[in-house]
Amino acid sequence: MPRLETLSEVQRRTLEFFPCLENDAAPWTAPSHSLAQSRVALVTTAGLHRRDDQPFARDAAGGEASYRVIPSDCDPADVVQSHFSIGFDHTGIYRDLNVTFPMDRLGELQERGVIGSVSTNYYSFMGALRDASRVIEETGPEVARRLREEGVDVALLTPT
Amino acid sequence: MLEEQGIATTAIVMVREHAEKVKPPRALFVPFYFGFALGKPDDPAYQHRVIQAAFDLLQAAEGPALADFPEDDAAAGATMPQASQVTAEPAQAARSAADEVTALRAFYERWVEGHSGRTAVGLSGIPQRRFRGLVRFLEACAQGDAEADLTERPAGVSRPQFIRYCADDLKAFYYEARMEQQRDATEEALHRWFWGSTAGGKLITDVAATLNATEDPNLRALAYGLAR
Repeated sequence: MPRLETLSEVQRRTLEFFPCLENDAAPWTAPSHSLAQSRVALVTTAGLHRRDDQPFARDAAGGEASYRVIPSDCDPADVVQSHFSIGFDHTGIYRDLNVTFPMDRLGELQERGVIGSVSTNYYSFMGALRDASRVIEETGPEVARRLREEGVDVALLTPT
Repeated sequence: MLEEQGIATTAIVMVREHAEKVKPPRALFVPFYFGFALGKPDDPAYQHRVIQAAFDLLQAAEGPALADFPEDDAAAGATMPQASQVTAEPAQAARSAADEVTALRAFYERWVEGHSGRTAVGLSGIPQRRFRGLVRFLEACAQGDAEADLTERPAGVSRPQFIRYCADDLKAFYYEARMEQQRDATEEALHRWFWGSTAGGKLITDVAATLNATEDPNLRALAYGLAR
């Protein structure tokens, strides 16, 4: 976003005081292959899911740590968003799913040989979580294991 | 987590200050507004440049690597007014959301047809051809009828959640119809039209006000995600 100085006072303070994680260092895995040989996954925090899957639901504590599987070969018309925030402009994704979840773009990169292949599945979480502990302890590692089992080399992470 | 499983990650991030704290291994800060992570809808070339900039970080020798996307010309969403920031036009109160839904249907259907079936409508499970019923349900909710319900509500979905899915579907229906009706409308114009001119916008604002007037913190949190 938005450079903070361009925001309203309320929005700026909300973001400045948002209880986000503070890490001292980042884990690091060097890419094992060149991009042209890599299997690439999309992982998003945009609260997306397949049309016939269960929408995300805010729980009592205002969180939602579950995730949804979106097969990379599913029709983009079958992907919808149930993110529970109206703090972002939904018109972007109404116009074009790719502005948040570039599944068409990744397919094009595969056709052009820029990436080796797209992964079998993409994964979607809910964003704007004030308490991410269950994602850190449970659902995040679970998705990481699934991606590894599916032979993924690189993950592109997108917000909404 | 992913890196610990041997997967190299590169992230698009929208709040630089948060990325500085979280320290993801590779992060591309984009100066776009929330809802526009790749900058511009319907602009594949621009989106490819954002993706490429994120992939370029895979070349970094060490991390955390935080880079800034060099282009700063995608201003969509810059002025997204919430409902309370829009002045209602006087005629709004006299309009009927059910009649609007009927009048907008042809535009909505043309939008969906022109977008290969892509539509953000679909959380409630109610087909748009039955949205007059969805409107009547939301009108009952706005009037404080705590028993109002629809047979389409799935067993695992609570009534408050269902209200939100219905409201989200109604919003998406109106916006997509309007984008078909006025193809050059700016995001700001769309929001001002929805909240200030349509009975549908007023209906969702009224539902939020009714939920907000309760003592139930869950309903009040729900209201905050409908209109504010």
